[in-house]
Parts: sequence; structure tokens; C-alpha cells
Amino acid sequence: MIKSFFRNANGIAGSIGVLLIAAVSIFAPSIWGKKAHTINVVNGDKGPSGAHWLGTDRLGHDIFYQLLVSTRLTMEMALGATGIAILVGIPLGAGAALLPERVRMIALRALDTLIAFPGLLIAIVFAAVLDPGKFSAVLGVGIGLSFSFARVASSLTLAIRDREFISAARVVGVGRTRLMVRHVLPNIADSLAIATTVSIAAAIVTMAGLSFLGLGVQLPSVDWGRMLTTGVQSFYLTPFAALGPGIAIALAALVFGFFGEGLARAANPVLWPGSGGDDDSATATADGPPTVDDPYEPVEDGVLDVRDLTVSFPSGRKRRQQVVRGVSLDLAPGETLGIVGESGSGKSLTALAIAQLVAHPGVVEGRITVNGTELQRVPLKEVDRTLGTSLAVVFQDPMSSLNPAVKIRNQLIEGVRRHRGLSRAEAVLAARRRLGEVNLPTPERQLERYPHELSGGQRQRVLIAMGLMNEPNVLIADEPTTALDVTVQAQIMDLLAGINAEHNTAVVLISHNLGLISQNCDRVLVMYAGRVVEEVAADRLTEAEHPYTRALLGAVPDMAHSREQPLVSIPGQMPDARSTPVGCAYHPRCPLAVPRCAEQRPPLQLNAVGHRVACWVANSDEAPAGAATVGTATSGDGA
Amino acid sequence: MSAMTEVSYSDGAAPSEPLRAPRATNPWVAFVRRRIISVVVILLLLATVTFSLVRLIPGDPGVIIGGTASTRAEQMAIDHRLGVDRPFLTQYWTYWSNLLHGDLGRSFVTNDPVTTILKQNAGASLQVAGLALLLVLAVSIPGGIALGALTRDRRHRHVENWFTGIASVVGAMPELLVATLLAYAFALQLKVFPVGGTGGINFLVLPVLAISLRPIAILLRLVRVETLSALATDYVRTARSKRLPARTLYLRHVLPNVVTAALTIGGLLFADLIAGTVIVETIFARRGLGTTLVNAVLSRDYPVIQGMVLVLGVAVVFANAIVDFLLASLDPRQVSR
Repeated sequence: MIKSFFRNANGIAGSIGVLLIAAVSIFAPSIWGKKAHTINVVNGDKGPSGAHWLGTDRLGHDIFYQLLVSTRLTMEMALGATGIAILVGIPLGAGAALLPERVRMIALRALDTLIAFPGLLIAIVFAAVLDPGKFSAVLGVGIGLSFSFARVASSLTLAIRDREFISAARVVGVGRTRLMVRHVLPNIADSLAIATTVSIAAAIVTMAGLSFLGLGVQLPSVDWGRMLTTGVQSFYLTPFAALGPGIAIALAALVFGFFGEGLARAANPVLWPGSGGDDDSATATADGPPTVDDPYEPVEDGVLDVRDLTVSFPSGRKRRQQVVRGVSLDLAPGETLGIVGESGSGKSLTALAIAQLVAHPGVVEGRITVNGTELQRVPLKEVDRTLGTSLAVVFQDPMSSLNPAVKIRNQLIEGVRRHRGLSRAEAVLAARRRLGEVNLPTPERQLERYPHELSGGQRQRVLIAMGLMNEPNVLIADEPTTALDVTVQAQIMDLLAGINAEHNTAVVLISHNLGLISQNCDRVLVMYAGRVVEEVAADRLTEAEHPYTRALLGAVPDMAHSREQPLVSIPGQMPDARSTPVGCAYHPRCPLAVPRCAEQRPPLQLNAVGHRVACWVANSDEAPAGAATVGTATSGDGA
Repeated sequence: MSAMTEVSYSDGAAPSEPLRAPRATNPWVAFVRRRIISVVVILLLLATVTFSLVRLIPGDPGVIIGGTASTRAEQMAIDHRLGVDRPFLTQYWTYWSNLLHGDLGRSFVTNDPVTTILKQNAGASLQVAGLALLLVLAVSIPGGIALGALTRDRRHRHVENWFTGIASVVGAMPELLVATLLAYAFALQLKVFPVGGTGGINFLVLPVLAISLRPIAILLRLVRVETLSALATDYVRTARSKRLPARTLYLRHVLPNVVTAALTIGGLLFADLIAGTVIVETIFARRGLGTTLVNAVLSRDYPVIQGMVLVLGVAVVFANAIVDFLLASLDPRQVSR
């Protein structure tokens, strides 16, 4: 945390500034105290000069030195106010969060409103009741700031209140005060540190405002706000008498703001991208241009035809890293194709690339033809129309894939309204029909609902219905059931099968679950490290030849599997895109690897039974005895 | 800050997935009832605090307000006018009864009814604060979305760097400094606008700018970040997969979620604007609630102080209530909270 704090510029600037302010506060009064307090009426209200850098005020005080000397009082008051805010706010907020539910709701709402009260107004009230002066100012500003501390403390406490160690402490019978001091506070300490610096900045500004209004520090004591008052009074003569303290106030606030931002970044680097860690080491093995080693015969009248698809992202300077490498696939009308692979295999990115949803700075290359339209060759408008009407995607997480602020109806009809030019009434009618088709009861009612009123399974049905609105030829379902319960999973898969059968919609099903894919697809593509390593008919999956596919098969439990026997797990990990090994990407994990596997990448070749497989061992005649190869391997060019 | 976070939800429904039972009452009715109750409670508290202002003065208010030079008779007269010489409950009762009759007392200094003083000054303050609020919203929301669109997916890094740099400096500048800088540049050097006073539209430009710049910088940053996170959401990806025109994408799918976040801190910004108005009125020597309040505190004119605090407080409470309702109408999930 300390390291990342000093790695961001704000943190460095902030800490240097804070140290400077501290030094000036401590030493300035004893060094320049005399200079600042020297009165020289003859020399009053003068502009900046060599002797007086910021000029003088009416009584001839040097403004620059006065500014330095009054830093101490300004900071003392700001720190004092923040101290009060912490002492009052944290027990208030943390205590409120630990109250029983009913009372807590009321307390938190009241807190919300109190925060919305201007701190300055609260401080003015204190000045009105007590005598305007240092004491009332520190107290007033402190109380004004305490509510935001209370808010921070209460939400942090709420967030960790239900964590296990707190419940454990409660079960053991630790008292409320002790619970707060011993268990809650240490866990919220870093957030409170950030809140503290932010609050010091706010205290400086509010306090200056109060003194400026004449309700804070009273003469002869002087803080920056008080100096500003004097400065504004002679603004015509010597504007710098006002600008000097004004800039000092802003700078001090900025310094503490930076310091706090630095702390925040250090405490939570994920939320602050671009704070260091951007220097990708250039050790990546950049792939060459996509090599066309994939002799692929497109299916006549296919609805989807993808050729040599690569997706790459920048890595380091001027380098691009391929994450999907030369994937080709095709899809006949009404066919169901499964793409299986571990996470990181590039299967989801392949789907996003086909739907043209890869975000900048990702770059998609290769040829994608949807329903006879080659997307790279037609204008963008045509791409929109083709994809909008012929292809639909159902995403993994139904909870987050629907817009929470838009009614189901509008989310369903906007696509057809756009691409088919339907009237609103026609579109709503179509939407109702589709919701019926995905077996949602009372479609008219669902249309008027918002996503948060539906369950996860219901939302996935809505998403599928949304995909069907334009009667697409291709439906890509990317892990459509991963986020759902097991019973609901089966229903969603049945639904997809039904749609496939009824509308002759071709389906691309993407999953890490080979069992799911083999039960629901005609054909299976197995992906590993961004490439297709095997393609096989689903009903002949047991004849798969690639060692990786075989390993995946070994990891699928079935009824025949004896419970005493452990499931096979694949040792090692899929390489990430940056460190893909030379040769076959799977060879470090492969039990059958031969020397050649580490040198040359095996091409995807057609074998005798019509599978395609990329493996030197499977495709060679000298397959070692006992290898998991089935069928006769051929080394033909498969053309 | 994001209202977008979802509770993870396990779909433990039976195979038939029964719909949730329809609510017995309209959620809006319950929502409105809850909010009205909380506004009433807070207003009661506010009035009680204002009432207590005088009672909290340590020592004898007559002595403190009248000063040591005043006679005992004068001090007692002050106590009598404040009502602090009567029993506590009587005082509280009288206060409420006067309040409900629209009687806020009379100024010690001018002897004018406080309501008259309010009427004379509220307009000028409302003008500044209202114009500033409009300016802030009109600049920050479209501007922030445009900046978000421009810098999405880490595009235009130089724009992003310049913007965050400038915005964080401006966002840290107190109204005090902005006002003095503006006065220096536009009133003293360029002589485009008057330095101070109350008058036509020319007199409004600098005060309004002075209190708007900081909130604009803060809100622009927030809206940009919210736009970026909205653009990165799954639901915007879903919308993109429908190949909608950019206009629909931004207006329907990004805007509501961005406005929600902007409004959430909008209430706080309004408080900022009110505090800013108080300061700016003093700097630019404008008449208004702020200067009236400050002068009243300095001259210990308690009836006026009470009146101003009450009115400014009510303004904050109502602004927050309005924000709450707007939020709820934009983000339906808020209603059931």
C-alpha cells in the first residue's frame, strides 16, 4: 500500500505539500513573526514590490509574511474541527449502524438529510449562539463535518457488520462498545484515513469562509480567511492582498485533496486504473500474422461463416497480443454448435468478435459472413441491419444484462422498432408473443415490469425473448445458464432446444461444461489458448482424439462413474495469451507430448472419420501404444 | 456511490418459477408516505432547533445582546421580546402558534417584521442560486456524457489527462478564490462586469459563475466516470448487441443511469450552492438572504437569525425531497427501498 501510494503523482505531490504546510505552521511564527506584525501605516495598501512580495495591507503589514505566520492558526483550526468531526461522527455513525433494523433506518435517513445541510450554515448557527470567534468556529465547522464522517462510518460498519468475525464476536458475547473498538474500527481504518484528509481540506475552506464573513477568527488574531476579508476591502487598490490568501486557501485544500486521493488509490488500486502498473513488460511473444493453416470448406448457404478470426489487444508499446488466433467456423441453418474450453480459451471473445462487440483497444481481424453479408465489406449501416436482424446474443449474467432503469417492454421492442420499422403497437404485440414463447406467464404484466422485479431465470427468459424479437438466423448463447440454479439451467436449455427446433434458428452454445455441450449440440468445437484444437460431432465425442478433449471428457462425471474413483483433473494451467508456449500450446500439460510438440504448432487437420484435430500425436501414424487416440489418424492435407 | 450494485441473487424458485405475489399496495404510495413522514419529522426538528437557538445562548440573552452598557430594564425588555422570561413550554407553544400564523417576529435592529425582510431578500438569493443550479446541471450532464463518450475505452488519453487535471484544480477552488479571481479578471482588468452590487443581468454573471465553477468541475468528473462505468455495463453491451443508433443508446440506456448518480450528489451540491450564495453575496456586496443572515449574526438580531436559518433549512430539506422523488422516478429500484 505504501509503495503504490508513492507511485502515483497525486500521492507524491500531496505528501510534499502536507510536509511543507506542516513545516511552515511549526516554524513560521518564530522566524517571521516579527516581520509579519510590524505596523507601518505610511507604507499601507501598497502593491507587490521587492520588499513586500504580495504588498501590504492598510496598516502596512507585509501580506506575504502574514500569510506564512497565520498558517499555524489556520491549520490548528482546521485540524481541531476535523478532530471534533471524528470524535463526534464516528461513534455516531458506527453506533447508528449497529442499532436494531427499525431504528437504524430512521437514524440513517436523518443522517442523510443532515449531511445535506451546508456546513457553513451550521457553523454560522454556532457563531450566532456562542460568541463569534475561534471556539465557536472550530466547534461549528467540526459538527458540520461530523455528519459525513458518521455516514462513512455507518456504511462501512454496515458493510462489515454481517461478516463472519463480527457475528462470531457477537455470539461469544462481546459488548457493543468493545465490538466497535476492537473489531469494527481497525477494519474501516483506511477508509477513515481518506475521509480525514478530505475533511481537513473541507475544514480549511469552510473555516476561511466563516472568518471571511467576520464570524470566525476575530482581530487581532488573523487566519487566511480573515486576511481575505481585509484584502477584499481594498480590492481596487491592491488586489493581491485578496488573491494571496485566496490562493493559499485553494492550494492547501488541493494539497490535502491530493493526499487523500493518493491514499484512496493506494488503498484500492483496482478502482483507480492508470495509477502505475501500466508498464506492461515487453516480454510477450508476439504472434506473427495469422497463418492460414485451416483448410476449411464452407457449408453451402450457411447462416454464419467465420474465417481466420483473430482478436488482439495492445500489450506494451506498439505490440499487440492475439487472444483469439485464427478461428474458423461455420454454421448451417438450424444447426447447433457448441464451443467448449476453459476460461481464457478465447471462446467468449470469439462470440463477442462475431457480434462486433469487442471494445477498443481490441482489434478484430478475419472474415465474418452473417446470412450471406460479409461484414467487413459493407458499410456500417448495413452491418447494423444485418447483425440487428440476423444475429442475437444471449449473455452470461441475466442479472446484469438488462437495464435496471428501463421497462422490459421498451428493452424488448427497441430492436424491432429500429430494424423492422414496426409501429409501437405491433412491436408490443410481438413482444407479448415472444414472452409467451419463452414460457413466461402473463406476458402483458411482465412487459410493464422492471428487471429488478423478476427472478434470475425469468430475466434469462426475457433476454432470450429479446434475442428472438427479430427472428434471427443465429442465436449465440454465451454461458447462458452459468449464473442460474441447476433446476432453472435445465429449463433454459430445453427452451433453447425448443426454439432451435421450432424456428430453425441456428444456435452457438458457449460453455466450459463439456457435458452440457455434448447433450445439447450437433457439433463441438474445442478451444485452447485462443485456437480451435478439435472439431467433432457431438454424438462421436467419445472418439475425440485430442489429448485435451480427452482430458475434458475425463473430467465430466456420468452415471457410470464409480464414486470411489476420483474425477480426472487436468494438471497445470492454461497459459495466458502473453506466455503461450512455442509449438502446441497444450504440450506442457500433455501426457503424450513428443519433442515435436514443443517445436512446431500442429495444424488443424481432417482425419478419416471427418473430425478435425490439431495434434501431432493424433495425426501421426507412429502414435505411441496405449495413447488415447481412437480412429485411424491420417496426415492428409484435408483439402 | 453507484446505485447500480446488485445483490447477488440465487434463483431458488421451484421448477414452475411462480411469479412473486403482486404487492398489496402500490409501492409508490408506500414510498411517498415514507418520504412525507421523514420530511415532516425533519421540519419539526428544524423548527425546534431554530426555536432553541435563543434558549441555547449561555447566560442571560438580555445581558449578552444588550451589552454591559445597557440598563437592567433594557435587558429585561430584550428578554421579554425574545420570550425567554416565560416558562419553557409556554415559549415553545407560542413559537409554534406564531410560526403557523406566519409570524416570525420583528427585527431588533429595524423593527421590521422578519417576513418582510425575508420577502425583500429571498428573490435576489433565489435568482443567484437558481441560475447557478441550472447552469451546473446544463453544463455538467451533457458535458460529462460527451466527455465519457470521447474518452471511453481509454480513447483520447490526452483529453482525459487535461480534463482531470483542470477539473481537480477547479474542483478544489473555494468560492472565495473563484470570486476574487473573477472579480480581478473581469471587473478590475477587463472591466466587462461590475465588481459588485445588485442590479440587472450584468450584476448576476460573476456571482453565478463564482458559485457554479466548482460544482461544475466536480459534477463533470462524476458524470464522466459514471458514463464510463455505464458504457462498460453488461446491459449496455446487450443494448449494443441490438445495433441501436448511438442516440438511442446514450439517451435511453446511459443517461438515466448517469442522471441517477448525478442527482445523488445533486442534493449536496445544492447545499454547496446555498453556502456559496452566502459568501458570494458578501464578496460582491449583493443584497440577499446570506448578507442578511451574516449581518444579523454580527448585530445579534436573533429574530432575523431564526427566520433566515429556518428558511434556508427548509430550502435544503425540500431540495432533497425533490431529488429523492426524481431519483425514484428515474430508478424504479429506489421506490421499494
